[in-house]
Amino acid sequence: MNRVGLPRALIHYKFSEMWVTFFQELGAEVIISPKTTKKIKQEAVNIAPNEDCYSTKLYYGHVMAIKDQVDYLFIPRYGASDKKYVGCPKFIGLAEVLRSMFPDLPPIIMPHYNTAKGRDGKLSFYFKAMKIASMFTKNPFKKIRAFRLALKKHNQHKKDLVIDEKTLYKWEQSKLFLNDSPKSNPGERQLKIALVGHSYVLNDPYASLDIRTILKEQGVDIITSEQMPRELIEKQMDKQNFQLYFYYEREILGTIMHFLESKTVDGIIHIMVFSCGPDSIAGEMAARFSKRNPAVPLLQLVFDELTAETGLKTRIEAFIDMLRRGIDEQIIFQTTKVHV
Amino acid sequence: MSISFPHVGSFTYVMESICHEMGRTDVVVPNKPTNKTKQLGSRHSPEWMCTPFKMLFGSFIEVLERGAYELVGTLFIDYCRLGYYTPIYEIILEDLGYDFEFLHLNFNNPTGFIQEMKRRTAGLTYWKTFRAFQIGWIKNRFIDIADKCLYSYQAVELEKGTSQRVVNRAHRKIVETKGMRNIRKLRKIIPKMFEDEVEIDKKADPLRVVVVGELYAVVEPSINLDIMTKLNELGVISYTPITFCRWIDVGSRANPFKRPSFKTAIKKAKPYVEYRLGGKTQESIGYSIMYKEKGWDGVIHLYPFTCMPEIITRSIIPQISREYEIPILSLVLDEHTGEAGLKTRLEAFIDLIERKRKVNGDNIK
Repeated sequence: MNRVGLPRALIHYKFSEMWVTFFQELGAEVIISPKTTKKIKQEAVNIAPNEDCYSTKLYYGHVMAIKDQVDYLFIPRYGASDKKYVGCPKFIGLAEVLRSMFPDLPPIIMPHYNTAKGRDGKLSFYFKAMKIASMFTKNPFKKIRAFRLALKKHNQHKKDLVIDEKTLYKWEQSKLFLNDSPKSNPGERQLKIALVGHSYVLNDPYASLDIRTILKEQGVDIITSEQMPRELIEKQMDKQNFQLYFYYEREILGTIMHFLESKTVDGIIHIMVFSCGPDSIAGEMAARFSKRNPAVPLLQLVFDELTAETGLKTRIEAFIDMLRRGIDEQIIFQTTKVHV
Repeated sequence: MSISFPHVGSFTYVMESICHEMGRTDVVVPNKPTNKTKQLGSRHSPEWMCTPFKMLFGSFIEVLERGAYELVGTLFIDYCRLGYYTPIYEIILEDLGYDFEFLHLNFNNPTGFIQEMKRRTAGLTYWKTFRAFQIGWIKNRFIDIADKCLYSYQAVELEKGTSQRVVNRAHRKIVETKGMRNIRKLRKIIPKMFEDEVEIDKKADPLRVVVVGELYAVVEPSINLDIMTKLNELGVISYTPITFCRWIDVGSRANPFKRPSFKTAIKKAKPYVEYRLGGKTQESIGYSIMYKEKGWDGVIHLYPFTCMPEIITRSIIPQISREYEIPILSLVLDEHTGEAGLKTRLEAFIDLIERKRKVNGDNIK
């Protein structure tokens, strides 16, 4: 009677290490929903409220995929983990909406955590974790051990994912690969592209139509926005008079602003999800900044449940062709300049 | 260097009187948004930005073309996009090539708020600036009273159009009254104006419908196609508890002897949405329950397209409707909302609650 279900969508991609370790250490059986498939998507689109964003819709599909196999669903009401900046309101409301729309779901464990507006601190985080732990075991040592291990795993995951400025510099000098090494095309220069978007889109091959593999096949080396060093992002965002207060959007916009300024990549691909609220702000600002500083081309792609893979492929190929031609023309231009 | 602000329903009168109190004589009062305003706003806005952004933006462009220079802009940190409108407006307007300057009124920073206001006054002291703001929030109460009177008298008036004429005069009177003592008298004067001048059908037993939802969608008649008056035309008293008083009425919030109604509403909404998540989610749910308990007949929930918090309300409302047996009609509004479609749905909804009342009445007999 202690199988816990974690839907593989939204903030699961940020905190999965922590949650899985925590429940496993408590002796619970963790069931994560399978990766997004066409079936999950279709069910999600049928049952979800029709104005939610595509990623939130997928969440409903993931919940439906595991609801019969689990005793508890773990859907935290996550407000923010930063002192000032908040997440998306959907993260807070999701658990309650699910409970209200489908009363026959298994009991939902929904701790609320919000440091920006809910006055939650480190201590209340501990107490909330202990409260959940008491549902599974009575052994206090086991509880504390699970809590500590979970935090350790989470920090380790963050450390592995986020690079420091030195590594970024090395990557910009083409000395190392941050992700899988791309296919090398003989006779062509290796392109560098920053792939920018929410972690729950970039890491979900179905939702992002496997854009990573498409880029790899094209021989493009990528860096994603979640890998970027936080200091660089904060430095870029501090240039604004009034701070953008959506935490994950800061990551996206900061990455775009950094590469527009430093010009160390050949192009930027910004992936947006249809009718995502914060994305509409960041997308507009990114487009305006790119127009003012057009040295690095920016491609903005909007994903929803109707996006087809062929269309996406064509556009990415066209974008990459444009980048390659741009470099060649620059070389011709430079050489002619030298001769004259 | 004239000062201006966007058109936000009857709250426009409050902003106008604050600007007058600040000693500014060069106020550009915005016109009511028309279809052209909607188109102008949505042409330059991000694609799936929420509708209030587009409407306010259209309103800003219109006042800029009429010669305004300083624009009132608000900033605050919330879960909703509303707090970040001003920086985006600045970027887009710069690209469009307008000459302008925004007032950065930051709600999270009260001292900065008053400092910024003082900078724009005609050389007033800090105390006078605060006083100007105070007059604004007190006048906001009377604007609310005037609107409440309008939407209840209009439903039962004998000669169509009388209450509209009275409310126009009442609004002007609120804006033009000077001096705190005279302003406080308005609390009695405005209901009296309606009582004296509007002839009502005393035998009528009108239905009562409460309108909840997102703030801008409720208060701005041009986005909701004047839904309150449309309800009145069907012979229904309409009322909205969601006004700007939660935003600017610092006085009643600081008053320890008075419990604002939104706090009761939030308490009622706790079993459904426990924590605040921006917008008017908790208020909308809470007020629906509160007004059902007061014996009102139905609820209309309005929200603009792609509003993040209100989509959550929209998903939870069916449960409230089931559990408390409240008829609730949820309507999405955007710049393409058609008048005929809205009217048909309203008529059907009113027919439904009328029949419900009849059946209930028969059962009691």
